[in-house]
Formats: sequence, structure tokens, C-alpha cells
Amino acid sequence: MAAIDQTPEGGAGRAPTTRFSVTQDQRRILYAIAAAIVLFAAGGLIRPGFASLKSVEAVLTVACFVGIVAAGQTFVILIGGIDLSVPWTLNAGAILMMSSAASSNARMPLALALTLGMGAVVGLCNGIGIAMFGVPAVVMTLAMNGMLEGLTLGLSGGLTCPTCAAYAPSVLQAVAHGSVLGVPAILWLWLAIILVATFVLSFTIFGRATYAIGNNSRASFLAGINVTRTTIILYVLSGTFSSLAGIMLLGFGGQASLGIGDPYLFQSIAAAVIGGVYIAGGRGHYIGAVAGAVSLVALVSVLMALNMPEYGRSITYGVIILLLLLLYGRESSEG
Amino acid sequence: MSNAAVAARRNRWSHGLGQNAGFALALVLLAASIVVYCAIYFIAQRRLPGGFELTTTVNNTMPLVFAGVGQAIVVITRGIDLSIGGVIDLTNAIAALYLGDSLLSMAGCSLLVLLVGAACGLFNGLLVTYGRVQPILVTLATLAIFQGLAIRVLPSPGGQVPSEFTAVFANIEAPWSLVYIAIVIGFWFCFRRTSLGVGLYAIGNDELAAQAHAVNVIRTRVAAYVLSGVFAAVAGLFMAASSTSGDALTGNGYTLRSIVAVVLGGVNLFGGRGTPVGAIVGAFISVMIVNILFFAQIDPLYQSFFEGLFLVVAVLASGGVGHFIRARA
Amino acid sequence: MQALIGASLSASFGEVHALVGENGAGKSTLIKALGGRLRPDSGAIEIKEERVSFARPEDAHAYGVRTVFQELTLLPWMTVAENLLIGREPRGPFGLIRRRRTEQEAEALLASLGVEHIDPLALVEDLSLAERQVIEIVRAINARPEILLLDEPTSSLVEREVKWLFREIRKLRDANTCIIFTSHRWNEIRDIADRITVFRGGRHVGTFIEIEESDAVTLMTGRRVEALYPALPPLASDEPALAVNKLTGRRVNDVSFVLKRGELLGVGGLAGHGHRELFFQLFGAERTTSGTISVNGRQVRLKNPRDGIRHGVGLALVPEDRKAEGLLLAVSVRNNLSLSIMRRISHGGVLRFGFERRLAQAIVTRLKVRTPSLGHPVGALSGGNQQKVLIGRWLLAEPRILLLYDITRGVDVATKRELYELIVHLAAQGHSILFYSSDAEELARLSHRVLVMREGRIAAELEEPDITAERVVAAALKDTVDE
Repeated sequence: MAAIDQTPEGGAGRAPTTRFSVTQDQRRILYAIAAAIVLFAAGGLIRPGFASLKSVEAVLTVACFVGIVAAGQTFVILIGGIDLSVPWTLNAGAILMMSSAASSNARMPLALALTLGMGAVVGLCNGIGIAMFGVPAVVMTLAMNGMLEGLTLGLSGGLTCPTCAAYAPSVLQAVAHGSVLGVPAILWLWLAIILVATFVLSFTIFGRATYAIGNNSRASFLAGINVTRTTIILYVLSGTFSSLAGIMLLGFGGQASLGIGDPYLFQSIAAAVIGGVYIAGGRGHYIGAVAGAVSLVALVSVLMALNMPEYGRSITYGVIILLLLLLYGRESSEG
Repeated sequence: MSNAAVAARRNRWSHGLGQNAGFALALVLLAASIVVYCAIYFIAQRRLPGGFELTTTVNNTMPLVFAGVGQAIVVITRGIDLSIGGVIDLTNAIAALYLGDSLLSMAGCSLLVLLVGAACGLFNGLLVTYGRVQPILVTLATLAIFQGLAIRVLPSPGGQVPSEFTAVFANIEAPWSLVYIAIVIGFWFCFRRTSLGVGLYAIGNDELAAQAHAVNVIRTRVAAYVLSGVFAAVAGLFMAASSTSGDALTGNGYTLRSIVAVVLGGVNLFGGRGTPVGAIVGAFISVMIVNILFFAQIDPLYQSFFEGLFLVVAVLASGGVGHFIRARA
Repeated sequence: MQALIGASLSASFGEVHALVGENGAGKSTLIKALGGRLRPDSGAIEIKEERVSFARPEDAHAYGVRTVFQELTLLPWMTVAENLLIGREPRGPFGLIRRRRTEQEAEALLASLGVEHIDPLALVEDLSLAERQVIEIVRAINARPEILLLDEPTSSLVEREVKWLFREIRKLRDANTCIIFTSHRWNEIRDIADRITVFRGGRHVGTFIEIEESDAVTLMTGRRVEALYPALPPLASDEPALAVNKLTGRRVNDVSFVLKRGELLGVGGLAGHGHRELFFQLFGAERTTSGTISVNGRQVRLKNPRDGIRHGVGLALVPEDRKAEGLLLAVSVRNNLSLSIMRRISHGGVLRFGFERRLAQAIVTRLKVRTPSLGHPVGALSGGNQQKVLIGRWLLAEPRILLLYDITRGVDVATKRELYELIVHLAAQGHSILFYSSDAEELARLSHRVLVMREGRIAAELEEPDITAERVVAAALKDTVDE
């Protein structure tokens, strides 16, 4: 059940009546941005130079990967679903890219198409199972994740296949590490994704349909919206974004290994939720998830700057997320 | 409107079957998987699996049994507990460190472990009820917290579990652990018949309606998470017993595996339906599948693939069969 | 509480007191306050001359007050027995509930009240709406209340069950229970009520021992009955807009009829007899197993609502439950309005906000929707205005044929009047309207013809000048009375 408060269009956030008042959904995005700023400032105090341009750029670069995965995750959460197949779609993407390109720049376009296609197919399977067969999203994407893990491990022989130790093609590495106009190329890619996602969610029929389904799928169906098709497309997008993140990680790291996708599940969901996307669907925006991703990565960086051991980071991470969730929870009950 | 004539009553068994279709299907799946397992074992080893195989299988499954039961209890209330893996990590670490050789030490440490599990569950429960945060998000965050605590307690694998402890909980001579399963079933039989037990189902069906029937929603929900924490702690103890040492990362896979056990056991993820005994069946089904894959000499690297495939097929089949039974009503 | 303004009511033990008024007059709100589900902003409730205050239904229980609310509080995936006895199950050793004994007690309870036909082992989910309402009533009676409140208890019941209910109510009254119930059905009220209180606009208007229906309606609506309903336009043509032939589907059995252009075709019948399913099937929202549907002479295959909404076909459905099936409550008025015409207000998939706003504003003005702004979330509007937004959405889709399902339910009198005028105006403009109403009077007054459904079939067709509320009800009930 959605809380009734001043939301204008399905969460996209235009101010209601007065010029300067802000809706609750917009407020959450601002909180996430504020959190990021506070973290950078705090980090700058703890370790001088943390808030410098170079350092901020580094954080943004790491956050970019979370952000790419979070794009797909946001789409899916908006209709009330979730994508637990992120870890191994990402991993499979990285490995597939690596072995099909086999360090050759010439084969890159083919490898790219193949890998993104794989991600799309994974999403298609998820979408069909969820939208057409009524399998709960948690179960379907979980099962898909397992199947990908098995296929990846099996087909690559535990990463012992001939092309599995290959380095990423130099073009890919250049893209991952290079800069355009002084800004890392990878951030330009993220910016492009942000623009496209924002446009789709706020300005297109597809975006409206997404919010409608997330609010009430039965009413959307009766109003003539193709719920099945929209759902499937959203999962296809999520799968594609996950494999894209895998490709970029490959370029960034040079080689693919096992388990690189695992942290992204929690982080993509946390980024979205911190950014104000409702886990039950229907409200929120990708911009919030972007701010959430930056905050999360900034948080980890601050904790590392504090020389906090890994277990401490894990605990602090969880505590801070809980605090933010409690804050949001209290707000919506007052609304 | 209902028929003018008094409708011919369907008997108890017919009702029971229709309403517990998921559980019935789970039992069928278990039976089928055992048969397949025996067949493949026979082909591979030229004899039927014996006491040793039974004992190892049961001992290996015990942690998942308890994790599954805990998860099922929470799922019935329309929640989910992703922190089960973290609780297992934590309790396993504590057990490995502090289980001493004396009986007092073993009993005391076990009690401590159960209390820790209960505390974790209480934490989850309070956040979900008073904090009004969705269970999936709360337990995602507490998973990170409990995992962190586990690593703090036991930074690297180690610790020593006394052999007497193992003899009690993971006896390698004979499948004594089946007794514990009987105890769990007995516990559930009683708990199902308490107000709290009925309350679990009520809030999973319709929270508002439950409230209208004087079900204390807050207390019931918190109780569900506390129980989940306790059962996860027990799983951690069994884990310590069978692996004889501790590892703070060992429980990580159990969150998702407990969900698989719950789903295979016919418990509905949307709450209000199913029984934790089904999760016990589901746990054994998952282990049977692994065994079948092993003896069928399927490359172990592909194991996850088949597990995932089986999960989807089982859910689809269960949905289809349940539909069929109720449509015939 | 906005719904009630200085409402007052006094009822005695050993009395059956009826509360009547239009939708939105405050009857349900009063019952909720008395039953402990709502806290009044001001005023007092006194039971046996003791002032009481209820925070939850349990508080009311403590004073011997039991309520059967309109929204049933049954647990769908639990059995009838479990629902009946929850909180009061028979216990055995160690305080554990005895399941088999619970079933037996439930069976005995049902038998003692003459409701043997409901199986205590059945899941509530598998019961019909009427059976569920009966169970809810049985549960309240079983608690042996001193004061029993019933909010629209007969809305889903058929004749036989209504007779059963009144038998039980009389028994309770003779045992000195105070019974307060709300109803729309005048013949029932006449049958059983000892006193009648009329509400209008959240206020108490009068209490009577006896009152004529027409006087009551005048009191309830504040105007004479005749003025409530606009005059029907004459039927312009005989041209069929919608032709249905031997349509069969879930709960729909071999239905055939024709809807003419500009016609107001009413559908009557009791809950559960197939009209709800018929409407969904005509719209393409539910599958049919056989039969054909033709629009403007051309046969159409409707696999989903989109097929029906398309310009070539031009169907629109305003469903029964506007909150669950119609509106997106957290979404703005404007976005709700444009939901079905997004293709029309966009260019290559991109929405044209200016155009959207103009269309939305135009329809809001035309229907006189009261909302602070177009951006306001629809869930914050009143029931009547919400209904207008839903209808507005469909009007924007420019349909030829409108399927309206009980659109005046839960709507205040003033809005009802506006909706009646709108419907009649649409018919005069050439739209063809098939509409269902649970209010037989409304059905009779607004239709050129009435089809009455019973058990999935068209049991009767009423034409002028024989269309009266009594005939509609009679046709719906015929032959279901006794077995």
C-alpha cells in the first residue's frame, strides 16, 4: 500500500503547487546527494586530499560500476520486482567478453555483441518466467543466477580454458582507463546512461507505464498497458546492464576472475533504496540511485581512509544503511 | 450462491491434499529424488547406498534443515530473512572458538550461541516492526553487520570443536541426527497449536484482519524473527559439529539455500501458506540433487546450473499442479 | 472526522435499529466509530450510560460490542473453522489448540445457526462472496454480543440467506441484544426494523418507527426522487453498436444480446451471478471459451484490454473497485487521466506534456473534478471525485461503447446526480452504454432496457414501460428462493 503524500508524476519529481517546496521523493534524492557531500567532506577532514578533484574522480569511477548495475536494478525495482541474477550475469559477461575477444581488437565488436546479447537473453528468461509464468522474482532471478554460475564455471572449466587467461583487448582497456576532455571515459559512459535512463523514465510512454505497473499492475492492465511486455523489457535491460558492467570491469581490471560480481548485488539494491526508490515499486528515480551509488562508494572510501579493518567496514556499512532506512521509514509514516 | 442442497462434503484427506498441495508435491519430489539417487548410485557403485551414505547425507543436511525451518517461519509471515547466512557465520565462529572439552563448557557455549541467535533475530524483528522498514532491506543490512561481527570473532578459519560435541550432533557412526529432525517436527506440531503459531499464519494472510482478531501483530512478527535467529544459530552449531572447526564465511551460501529449501518445500513466498516441515523436505531434496549430480558424474562445476534449473522447474510444476487440484474442487 | 458532523444516534437493547442514508452520508463511518475502528474527533459514545472510548476493535469487544464491517476481516488461506474460532479455539493439555475439536465445534456452530451447507474445512478463499459474508456474521453472533453492528450485511446475500439472517437477528433481539444495521434495501428495512434513523450529509436527520419509502428517500437525498434522475433521451436508432452471441466463459453461460447505438442498457442481478465476469469478458480482460462479440457489425477477437480500447473498436470499462482496479492512487490526477491515451499524446514514444496538460485540464473542467491541482495524487481525492477521474480517463479515450460497472457505489448524492446527467448526455450524443448497478431503482430509472442476469444467463429482459425496481429484483430472485 502506497503512502499518500505529495507525489506528482509517478516519482519523477516535479514540484507540486508552490515553487520551492519539494516532494518527499525529491527529498530522498537530495538526502542521498547530501550524504555523498558530507562523506566527501568528512573524508577530507580525516585524510587531507580526500576531497580533492583527483580523489573524487576516483570514487566516482568506482561508483560508476555500481551505478551501471543499479540502472538495471532500479528499473526492475520500480515495477515491484528485483534482480538477484546480477552477480553471475556480470561475471559471465566479463568472462565471455574476455574469451571471445581473446585480446584481439578486431574481434571486439563481435565479442561486445555476444556479451551484451547474453545479458539480454538472461533478462529475457527472467522476464518470461516472472511475467508469463508467475514465478516470483526472487525465485526466478535466484535460479537464473545459479544457472549462470554453473554454466560459466562448467564451460570455462573453472576458468582454466585456453582463452580464459587472456587479457582484455587493448581498445577496451583504453576505454576503461582513458579520459576525454580530462574526465575519465567511463564517467562519460555513465553520464550517457544517466541521461538516457532519466529521459526514458520521465519523458516517455515506457517510463510512465513502468511507474503505472509499479503502482498497480491490475489497474494498468485494465487501462490497456501491456504489463507483460513492459516487465520483460525491464528485465532484459537489467540483464544487459549487468553484462555491460562486467565488460567494463574487464576493461578496468584487465582480466576477469571469479566472484567479481558478488558485491554488486547488495550495492545495487542499497544504492537504489538509499536514493529513494521504493522497494515495493512505483516510486523513485534513477538519479536517486546514482546519488546512492556515489554515497555508498564514498562511505567505503572514508572507512578505508580510517584504516578500518574489513569487518569494521562491513558492520558500519550495514549500520549506516539501517539508519537511512529508519529515517525514510519514519518519514513515510508521517506523510 | 452455494448450492441449494447441502453440498456433499469433501472428506478431510481431500481437503488436506488440496490445501497443502505444495507440501505434498515436495514429498513426491523427495521420494522421486531418493529413487533416482539410489538408481544412479547403484549404476555407479554396483550396490545400493547404505548406512554410511545415509549418515553422511543426514549430517550434511542438518544445517540446511534448521536454516530452512527458520526461513520458513519468517516467510509465513510474509517476510524474508536474508541475514540467516550471517547468523550462521557468527554462531559458527563463536562455537569453534569457545566450545571447550568439558560438558559444562559445551552446554554453556551452546546456550550462549542460542542467545546470540535470538538477539540477532530480535534486532531484525524490532527493526521490521517498529522501524517500519521492509524485511528484505533490514535483513540485507543486518547480514552485512552479522558477517562483519563473525569475522571480528574469528578472523581466519580455526578453532577446535571437541569430538564429544561432534559425536552428539554429527555422529558419523549412525544417522542419529534424524532424532533432531523428529524433535523439530515435534516442536512445530506444538507451536502450530499455540496462539503465537496461529498468529504467524494470520499476519501472513492479512495483517489488518489479523489485528481485528486480537492478534498482537508486533509481538508475533518479532517472535518469528527471533525464532529464525535461534534456528540459524542451531544451524551454526551443527555446522561446527560436522566440520569440526570454524570458518566465519561458511554460512554465506545458506541464505539463498534456505530460500531454495523453503520454495521446494511448498511454502508460499507471499506468506500465509505452507509449513516449515516442508522446508525440511526441501532441504533434503536440494542435497539429494547434489548427490545425484555427483554420482551421475556430472562435472561438479555445473552443479549450480542444475540446482537453479531444478528450482525453476519445481516452482513451475508446483504452480501448475496446485492450480489443477484447486480447479477440480 | 469529515464524514460525520455532530451525528447522533440512540438505540435500545432488544431493538433492531436501521440506519439509512445515501452513500457517503456517514453510516459506515458511524459504524466504524462505534465498532472501534475509527476514533472520533469529538463527541461521545455511551454504552449503558457509561462513557466509553475505543482505540481498537478489541476495546469495543470488551463492552460486548461486535461488528460486521463492510470490509470483511477473513483470513483467506485459512479454513472456515480456523476463521470462526480464532482467538477462541478449544484447548487441550498444555494449552495447545485441539485442531480436530476446533473443526467439530465449528461444524456444530454452523449447524446450530442453520448454516450446514458451508464446509468448515473449506478455505475461505474458495467460498463465494455470499458465503464469506455469512461466515463473518456467524463469527460475530457466536461471540454473543450485547450490541451487534452490521454494516450492509445483506449486500451480497440472496433471499434465502437474508431470511436466515433476519431469523437470527430476531432471535438476538428477543434475547435483548441491541442490533444496529445499515442497508439500502427498503423492503428489508420495512421487514425487520423496529426503528429507523435517517442520515444525510453526516448528520442525523430523523428517527422514526415507521416511514414511507418515498419520504425516506426525500429525507436521504434532500430532494424528491423524481428530481434525482434526469429524463432519458429517446432512442435514436436501432443500429446495433455491440452484438453478443452465445458468449460463454467463467460464470457466463450462453449470453446473447444487442446493445443499440445511443442506448442505455442496464444489467441487473445479484452478486456472483456473472455480470461482473461478463463485463470483463466483453472488454477482453478475461478469456471466453465460446461465442462471438461484434462491434459495429464487425466481429472482434479481444485477447486483452488493449484490443478493446483501440480506436477501431472503442470499448471502455470502468470497473467496480476503483481503488484496486482503476486508479493509481499515488499517482497524479493528470497521469491517471492520460493513462489510456499515452500513444495519442506522444510523438515517437516521447510524451508531449503541454498537450497532456491541456487535455487533462479540459476533462477536469468538464466533469467538475474537485482537486487542488492536476499534480495532486488521486488517492487524496474524495470517492466521488476519484470516480470522476476514472471516468474522465475513459472519456479521453473517445470510446464508442462504455461498460460501466456500479459506478455510483460509494459516491455521494451530489456527484451521483452529476454522473447520471453525464451518462444520459453521453447516450444522447450517440455513445452506447452498458451499465450494471446494484441499486435496482437506479437501474430502472436510467435504462432504455434492462437485462437481468441469473446464474450466468440472461433471465429476463425488461422493456418500457415495464421497467421498475421491483421487477428487476423479482427477476433476479426468481427460483432461487426455495429448495
